[in-house]
Amino acid sequence: MYHFDWTIFWQYLLPWTALANPLIRNGLIATVVVSVVAQVLGVIFGLFAALGKMSKIPPLRWIADGYIWYFRGTPLLVQMVLLYFGLGVTHIYDFPDIHVGFLLITGAIQAGTLALAINEGAYMSEIVRAGIEAIDPGQMEAAKSLGMTTGLAMRRIVLPQAAKVIVPPLGNEFNNMMKTTSLMEVISAGELFFGFTQINARIFKPFELFIAASMYYLLLTTIWTIIQARIEGSLGERKGIERGPSMVRRLFSFGGGKGAR
Amino acid sequence: MVFDPISPTSPSNDRIVVQAEKVNKYFGSLHVLKDIDMTVSRNEVVVVIGPSGSGKSTLLRCINHIEKINSGRISVNGRLIGYYEKNGRLVEDSERNIAQHRAEIGMVFQRFNLFPHLTALENIIEAPTNVRKIPRDEAVTDAKRLLERVGLLEKSDKYPNQLSGGQQQRIAIARALAMKPSLMLFDEPTSALDPEMIGEVLDVMNELAHEITMIVVSHEMGFARAAANRIIFIDEGRIIEDTTPDYLFSNPREERTKVFLSKILH
Repeated sequence: MYHFDWTIFWQYLLPWTALANPLIRNGLIATVVVSVVAQVLGVIFGLFAALGKMSKIPPLRWIADGYIWYFRGTPLLVQMVLLYFGLGVTHIYDFPDIHVGFLLITGAIQAGTLALAINEGAYMSEIVRAGIEAIDPGQMEAAKSLGMTTGLAMRRIVLPQAAKVIVPPLGNEFNNMMKTTSLMEVISAGELFFGFTQINARIFKPFELFIAASMYYLLLTTIWTIIQARIEGSLGERKGIERGPSMVRRLFSFGGGKGAR
Repeated sequence: MVFDPISPTSPSNDRIVVQAEKVNKYFGSLHVLKDIDMTVSRNEVVVVIGPSGSGKSTLLRCINHIEKINSGRISVNGRLIGYYEKNGRLVEDSERNIAQHRAEIGMVFQRFNLFPHLTALENIIEAPTNVRKIPRDEAVTDAKRLLERVGLLEKSDKYPNQLSGGQQQRIAIARALAMKPSLMLFDEPTSALDPEMIGEVLDVMNELAHEITMIVVSHEMGFARAAANRIIFIDEGRIIEDTTPDYLFSNPREERTKVFLSKILH
């Protein structure tokens, strides 16, 4: 029978002992930072892809269609490996380590973040497009009848309204993003899961360590769910969005979306 | 005074605000506007009536180029809208030029189309500050005067969903007027309103009449009688009658005008 090593389990589960280990401490920081950066970039890519897809100019539509088709139709893991090793081996971009002040951003982190962002952009584009299309066309007409160009009307009238529609699915995307960063383990980017696999390679306690690792992800997504409910609540109060599901429902019945890509 | 028929600034042309010539419009295979000819002079109030689907709203939307016409030409304030002429052919104008031209034309919609994320005051100053680049304080002063004019100064900080339909439509009129247009288009401005709110909107429109050129698609015959110089009856995409309200109500030329009038006048 397997002997469950409680000492190891508690050591790597409880933050005050686990975070003393730089692999876990830095990994946790990297996971959060990469998630935020990749999500922000993903929203920007998604916005451009959505506008491209709705453009009157055919080549812009083709580029947007091709981007969405490829990055939603192939596995993120493959995209990430392709980007990191493919660009490296061809010397298109070698992903050198970058020092930003006291921060060291490794090539693997750059490649992983970029792959996550590009992939996320393809999914966000559909969310942004749905948000824009949810706005009554009368809004664009009214803006144009006041002498606004399409671009100005988009910026001032349509997008601010679409943003409110986009917030709830965007929150869910970020929840997924934090979990999906664990794929970066395969390119040895120093995020949270990589930290745990490194420790496992040394002490070989996979059951104990990976339960502890999963608990850190659960902690992150739970904190985010609470923050998300607050954001949607305050948006709803001010601008008339329907109240979202209760906290209990959020925690125990979310998913239903894409899951692992 | 010497009358010069060629010069575009001759006094007779100067008074023409809208001129439509042989305008045709299709939605797919549906022929919505058929050879429409229409002239509207400065400070005239023209009411357009007709059965639903007759093309009256489409005509209005073609005048500010929200809908593109398929043939013919429409000028507003002496300039073609949406196109310019090159070697005798019409070429679609740049978006910027079309937008500038539209800024001279106010439009009021059936469903108000106020911007729900902005307050009443912000709705009104949005285009003056962002399109005309008028300083904010100046735009606010103007907007407050307009709000007072439509009787809603105390609602300036309310969001559209905090206002009744009638109040929203009066804000929408103020928003259009804030751009100081030379032409106002009203697309069934009272047909989405509860009956008790129609009066307050018509009052505002009545006050505007003859201060500004107006084309009004509406079946409010009381308003037409009181304010309109002309009534145009459109059926199946064609102008059937174009005459004064008194004349139309007393002796309509066409049988279908009679039938239609008997329906809307009860």
